[in-house]
Amino acid sequence: MTVHNIRHANTRHADSRHGDASDGAVGGRLSRVDGPAKITGAAKYAFEQQLDGLAHAVMVEATIAAGTVRAIDTRAAETAPGVLLVLTPDTIMEIKGASDWLGNPPTQKTYSPLARTVTYSGQHIAAVVAETFEQAVAAAALVEVSYDETPAIVDLSDAKAGDGIPIDVMTKEWGDAEAAFAAAPVRICAAYNTQREYQAAMEPHGLIARWQGEELTIWEPSQWLDGMARTYAEWFGVPFENVRLVSPYIGGGFGSKALALAHSAVAAASAKMLGRPVKLVLTRPQNFTSYGGRAATRQTVTIGAGRDGKIQSIVHRGVNETAVDGMWVEPLASVTSIMYATPNFSSKQNVVRVNTVVPGAKRAPGENPSAFGIECAIDELAYEVGVDPLEIRLRNYAEQDPEAKKAWSTRQLREAFAAGAERFGWSKRSPKPRSMRDGHQLIGWGVAAGTYPVRRAYGEAIVRILADGSVEVESSSIDMGQGTYTILAQTAAETVGVPADDVVVKLGDSRFPRAGVAGGSRLAGVMTGAVYKAATSALDQFVGLAISDPRSPFHALQANTLVVANGRITAPRGDGPDVSIAELLASVGRDRIEATGDTMPANSSAEDRYKNYTTIATSVPHTEGDYSRHSWCAHFIEVRVDEDFGTVRVSRVVSALDSGRLYNPKLAESQWKGGIIMGIGQALLEEGIVDRRHGRIVNNNLADYLVPTNADIPDIEVISVGIPDLHSSVLGGKGVGELAIVGVAPAIANAVFHATGKRVRDLPITLEKLI
Amino acid sequence: MTDQTTSITIPIHLTINGRDHSLNVEPRVTLLDALRDRLDLTGTKKGCDHGQCGACTVHVDGERVLACLTLAAQVEGREITTIEGLAGADGTLDAVQAAFLEQDAFQCGYCTPGQIMSAVACIREGHAGSDDEIREYMAGNLCRCGAYPNIVAAVRQAALEVAS
Repeated sequence: MTVHNIRHANTRHADSRHGDASDGAVGGRLSRVDGPAKITGAAKYAFEQQLDGLAHAVMVEATIAAGTVRAIDTRAAETAPGVLLVLTPDTIMEIKGASDWLGNPPTQKTYSPLARTVTYSGQHIAAVVAETFEQAVAAAALVEVSYDETPAIVDLSDAKAGDGIPIDVMTKEWGDAEAAFAAAPVRICAAYNTQREYQAAMEPHGLIARWQGEELTIWEPSQWLDGMARTYAEWFGVPFENVRLVSPYIGGGFGSKALALAHSAVAAASAKMLGRPVKLVLTRPQNFTSYGGRAATRQTVTIGAGRDGKIQSIVHRGVNETAVDGMWVEPLASVTSIMYATPNFSSKQNVVRVNTVVPGAKRAPGENPSAFGIECAIDELAYEVGVDPLEIRLRNYAEQDPEAKKAWSTRQLREAFAAGAERFGWSKRSPKPRSMRDGHQLIGWGVAAGTYPVRRAYGEAIVRILADGSVEVESSSIDMGQGTYTILAQTAAETVGVPADDVVVKLGDSRFPRAGVAGGSRLAGVMTGAVYKAATSALDQFVGLAISDPRSPFHALQANTLVVANGRITAPRGDGPDVSIAELLASVGRDRIEATGDTMPANSSAEDRYKNYTTIATSVPHTEGDYSRHSWCAHFIEVRVDEDFGTVRVSRVVSALDSGRLYNPKLAESQWKGGIIMGIGQALLEEGIVDRRHGRIVNNNLADYLVPTNADIPDIEVISVGIPDLHSSVLGGKGVGELAIVGVAPAIANAVFHATGKRVRDLPITLEKLI
Repeated sequence: MTDQTTSITIPIHLTINGRDHSLNVEPRVTLLDALRDRLDLTGTKKGCDHGQCGACTVHVDGERVLACLTLAAQVEGREITTIEGLAGADGTLDAVQAAFLEQDAFQCGYCTPGQIMSAVACIREGHAGSDDEIREYMAGNLCRCGAYPNIVAAVRQAALEVAS
């Protein structure tokens, strides 16, 4: 639980640009309310809690990619200084199987977070718990493991990998795509690859686990408190209510921190076995193998078109890697099937099992690689027919969802193209490749579009109006940097009628009213809706009391309603008393007004609610009802390629984005820029490199797995072209967090082609691919 | 299971944010782990523990240092400043801290203490003369949320304030 009482925080200096009351309303540019804690070091992240008797655990991981553990010799580790416990598959307590994130029951009765059968390098096989972190690290190095190694399938290009397993539910077809392609006057066909990428949040994964009798408290960075609490409850056979998950701040997630993982189970088990709280933080290298990054993908995109560039057919085939013992499907046709109007379409997808940790969600799973395929392919078509890359996108503009055959709820993509092109100066582009240069630098301008569906779910919140006139909001949702603390303060402030400074938002504790996963860019829309509902209900109670209570100064007015604004309550015509919220509550003898709001359907049972908040099974389809709901964006990017060395630098980015209504533009713009920057990393730098002899990721650290640095990033201009979309959320917002990465890599690849005349279809675009 | 007294500890005296601290730790304890695990100064962050990310940046005698690559015993008798010691005694924020808040130069906040400590030093070193220079001299501090353009704006703003 975390409190940001910004009235008491020292923001004297920082408030220099404030004073605009509208900053605190929904849509205002309020600075982060959790900001003062984060810039002073006062913000305590989950596993920074200081507990008495804390023991420290360190994981031991497999050094082979496939085989079995023959023996683990723990004798040296057990006698090392400070060691309390050495866990192996044979000595760890029994843990029960847990249901998956859809709520499907476990396939195995028991779960072993320490493996006897190794299916990937880096898999956890043992753990050491000691009095201090240093002792645990030293002892872990003394654990001797012997293996019976078997051949591994190291990646998608391994000869043993095969074609994989067809995933029939991913098949999408309309018209006769093959025939239309064969008949089309213009035909293009190309293969596009993306590599293993990692979330690489700056805060590593880790946790502190503490048992008090049958009650378990977990301090762990989490994108989904209620979902992870369910997993712990099932693993250890205790009621859901006995598990408390605390996650006040999350040092970045990007999709990686939504599930309780093997190391989480080991920490909780060792805490139970020792009867002491245990802290376990993964090393940076372990963060590359303890959970999955984005799966490597391969796509073939074929487009049949008229000589005018109008698309007649798209045939798409995709493959993503998954694990030997786990399934991950990265939906590779999610953008392909909706971005452009086409009368004929076919898409199929396979997954291929390789010896890796199960791949997972990384910012815009599916949409991101999907857009790399189709947004490069349409650029290739543009050159093939001699049409400007922007013009060809407008020529094939989808006026409705081509797949669902439904109207868009809102689609400001045409506006995004127009605003971005204008600001970027696209009309000054010389169409021919290699026709723009500055000395040794070839200059290229590229464009690409992006989209992300509006995922919707339900949320719950409490809003309290307190005796001192302040307002308190509680929810088990989380803030990993998206700005949840801030936008919920703004929502409650505007709805109740108090300054945002008078709102305290408490998040990150599973004891608070429930929330689903902070993933798929859904949390802001879900939680502003829940807080709006709870705050409206609290306000109604408060005004009702002011009108009806005989002790209220407004009682004699016999008004139908009253106005609450800026923390004060008045009659609509201003002809009565003017008192503060605190004064009114005092006059009627109340110390608080409290209301719970949730956005669940009215007849939902307790079981429905539990399922909604602890699984993702109840997510509402984005094409439910009459509309298809998506966020949209257009990226315009300039690259400079050194003619001799092939080095690529992004020198200018202008992106126009439609996320609907923005609850706080200042914070939304930051998330957009962050997505664009992660996209620059994907396009030019990021790639998990596999040692083919050992099936091991060799660049499993932040010096060798290259994420963008400050010096890699130019000025980035973002433009909001969204309009409120009430089909998408209560307050009119669509998704923000994942949208902006979608389309960045193809815009860069397209710019590189424009600069050099070389089409690189295999990310990342590194210099050896250009010289 | 074992004799826990066999680890050798040594007494260390550290001056952190103007306050003296005494502790008994093994010689192999890093400054970062001493701060975070022994002294409850968790504002200094551990991102990689290998000197690759910059999240653990602190000042030793006014210069930026990676606390994960520094043993606690190495900095006895030196002035250590962490993010907790940057604001004035009355809580007035440093110009860099204030600029970070105003420019929204962070999202998750985990790299932020290191960014701010680097930025204070970067300005003091005279390396905040242009946006390109700021980008270069702040390149040792990774930010996965991608706040870089806003960090550059914050450092530029703070540098102007410090100069005036």
